[in-house]
Amino acid sequence: MASITLRELTKRFESVVAVDRLNLEIQEGELITLLGPSGCGKTTTLRLIGGFETPEAGDILFGGRAVTWLPPERRNIGIVFQNYALFPHLTVRENVAFGLEMRREPPAAIRQRVSAILTKVQLAGLERRYPHQLSGGQQQRVALARALVTNPAVLLLDEPLANLDAKLREEMRFYIRGLQREFGITTIYVTHDQAEAMVLADRIALMKDGRLQQLGPAETIYRRPSTPWVAEFIGLSNFIPGTVAARTDGRLSVRTAAGLFACSGDVAAGEVMIMVRPEALHFGPQHPNRIAGVVRERVFLGNLLDYQIDGPDGMRLRVQADPSRIFAPGEAVEVSFAPADAWAVGPRAAGP
Amino acid sequence: MRRGPLSGWGLGAAVTLIYVFLLVPILIVVAAAFNAGEYLRFPPQGFSLRWFVRFAQSESFVRAFLFSLQLAVYATLASTLLGTMAALFIVRHARRVRDALRLLMVAPLQFPAILTGIALLIFFYATGMGTRGMRPLFIGHTLVALPYVFLTVSTVLFGFNRSLEEAARSLGAGPFVTFRRITLPLIKGGIISGALFAFITSFDQFPISLLLISVGNTTLPIALFDYLRFSYEPTAAAVSTVSVLLSVAIVLLIQRLVGLEAVSWGGPR
Amino acid sequence: MLLILPIILFLIVFFLIPYANMVYMSFLMKPAEGAYVRQFTLANYARALGDPFHWKVLRNTFWYSILTAAIALVLGYPVAYHLTRASGRRRAWLLVLLISPLLVSVVVRSFGWMILLGRVGLINQLVRSYGGPELALMYNPFGVVVGLVHVYVPFMALAIAGALQNISPDMERAARSLGAGQWRVFWRVTWPLSLPGVFAGTLLVFILAVSSYVIPILLGGSNVLVMPMLIVQMLLDAFNWPLGSALSMVLFGLTGALLWLYVKLLNRALRWSQP
Repeated sequence: MASITLRELTKRFESVVAVDRLNLEIQEGELITLLGPSGCGKTTTLRLIGGFETPEAGDILFGGRAVTWLPPERRNIGIVFQNYALFPHLTVRENVAFGLEMRREPPAAIRQRVSAILTKVQLAGLERRYPHQLSGGQQQRVALARALVTNPAVLLLDEPLANLDAKLREEMRFYIRGLQREFGITTIYVTHDQAEAMVLADRIALMKDGRLQQLGPAETIYRRPSTPWVAEFIGLSNFIPGTVAARTDGRLSVRTAAGLFACSGDVAAGEVMIMVRPEALHFGPQHPNRIAGVVRERVFLGNLLDYQIDGPDGMRLRVQADPSRIFAPGEAVEVSFAPADAWAVGPRAAGP
Repeated sequence: MRRGPLSGWGLGAAVTLIYVFLLVPILIVVAAAFNAGEYLRFPPQGFSLRWFVRFAQSESFVRAFLFSLQLAVYATLASTLLGTMAALFIVRHARRVRDALRLLMVAPLQFPAILTGIALLIFFYATGMGTRGMRPLFIGHTLVALPYVFLTVSTVLFGFNRSLEEAARSLGAGPFVTFRRITLPLIKGGIISGALFAFITSFDQFPISLLLISVGNTTLPIALFDYLRFSYEPTAAAVSTVSVLLSVAIVLLIQRLVGLEAVSWGGPR
Repeated sequence: MLLILPIILFLIVFFLIPYANMVYMSFLMKPAEGAYVRQFTLANYARALGDPFHWKVLRNTFWYSILTAAIALVLGYPVAYHLTRASGRRRAWLLVLLISPLLVSVVVRSFGWMILLGRVGLINQLVRSYGGPELALMYNPFGVVVGLVHVYVPFMALAIAGALQNISPDMERAARSLGAGQWRVFWRVTWPLSLPGVFAGTLLVFILAVSSYVIPILLGGSNVLVMPMLIVQMLLDAFNWPLGSALSMVLFGLTGALLWLYVKLLNRALRWSQP
């Protein structure tokens, strides 16, 4: 198992900078997800780490050892592709044994290790089948077994669950997590699905335009996004524009069209957006930050009601609340939120 | 949907007639080869293999047959090797010059074979190579067979899933091992069907052969042609039938290997 | 990379250079003895373009080829239509049926027609047995065109099928839903959308027919003379390489010019399909 270090990693395709001076430290045994919209560079970063692309600049280190110029077959990695990439002309057994053959393990050892891992992924008895004879979930597990059986230093997963149906995807998420913890392999997991990232990762690396936007555990990113873009990408948010009036120890007083609000944030002064999650807005005056508004629309989501509320000065708020009280469109309401649930970020940049 | 002339029996009947039109001449030749009598009459005069016996006894035809076979094998080997190499390079590596290279590879198909034959004849004489022996024919046949191999291998390569190779690399296989154990087995079908097309193209080749043959070295189609110009004897039908059977065998082989869908072309691209 | 170098070399030496050489040859002189001397002249082109006999042969060649393309279109379109509407295994076998004639030598196929069309051929036998007259189906333009059409229909069908494949069946369903009957749907939707394939097919068949040698010679005998036959005669019999080259250049130059015009017209007609 090895730690992974990316230093000033840069990759260009024609005139597009796919990965822009990326710096990232991944600890031994950690599972990090690279999360972001398409085109953000997460897959390219993964391919750079795997050795399938060469960077224009920067270094890649496994456990302190530079691998930047090593071809993939010398990096001791395991990779699972979105389409699994199982060798169609080889049986399950031959697929899984392939890596061990490349390492010139003795045949007896290969047999034993392949059988062991196939049992572990609950595919014992399917050794002689060909990939096209397996279901999606089974192929998935063969791909995992093939990647893990060689005990690689690093495990790379490129949206491995994207081709599975929703229910299977959820099951496999926990499954992969369990396997990874058991093997303790340093793992990089690429996905565009936030829920997946939040379930799986020790830390999430949120990327945009080839750059790292925020790195940290799921909860931190969710509750304390570093930029408005991050706030918008993860979960739903309301943004209330205002100006910083006063600041004491990370607690801010912000003047808005609806009054003076107390919140926290890293911003010192100037224009800010107060980010409040829809579930943190409550009907009624129980919290210090209060807004008066009118219900514009209401949607029934099963366990929640989703409201769109018009506030003062063109403010639009989205509130999600339980069905204990139901408000009708056109009704005048008051919503409030606690300072602890409000986070101020710098002004929203134009565009995504 | 309401059935009318455009679907159902109307179209089916017309199309059947057209397919009959396409196949009848070939079937007629085969029928003539097995016909007991001199001339093919209706109704046929009985079954006989005597024309095949005559074929086997005709020194000139047998020699032409073997010569064509040998030539086709050489041309197939050369064009398959070159065509596959070209396809590998062009599909995977050539980025800026890809279109130009593809055009070049397919060019021998675009130019009428008779013109290519003429150009080669003049060229061989001008360079002193002459048209003696198999070599000029070998070059000409390889030239016109190349595009077929290139096209079929390119098609297979195009749909090839690169992540299979990356998976192999990630498991420790270097580029050569990956090619040998993963890529080659999976594109085998395309290579083989390209080779089969090349073989048939060479074996049945006419215009190029016409211009590049020399005394004593004639191919089967040319021998047949010379024969047919001035006489009519069912031995020619037997010769033709052997040639047809060869073609049929190859078509079926291709269909089994890759499926004709994969290699059908809609004309020069 | 090394992979491509031998092939490029091969193609340059044995394809590009011979063609360039042929162009060069067309400007050389034909001596009394031998095939050519290295002296520049335009006499070959003067003869090629000046002799009304050559123009007659050219006219015939183009005329037979246009006829062939037209008839091949009429026969090939239904085959293509039928093919694209077949599914799975049936389509695979239809393709086998369509393509296998292509893999049979053109000599053999012409031979088949000789048996059918000859004076004592099968068709005449049938007609005579009913008391009809002897039909002259061979050793004339009719036989040649029949042979040409026979060989080139599969090419036409494949080209059209290629275009038909790309027409989503939803388009026809949409037209039907709007009230169009089967024929209307064909004329207003399917046919226009298949035009690129039609043009490609007619282009292809025309070029192939113009350069055909075996069929005119075997099925036309001494009564039909097309340009390829004339050119081969010039080269192998008269040993006049410069004139033969010049005639080749003229034939294919004119063919190219005709096709260029054709493509221009078709681009105009297909403006809606340009991205």
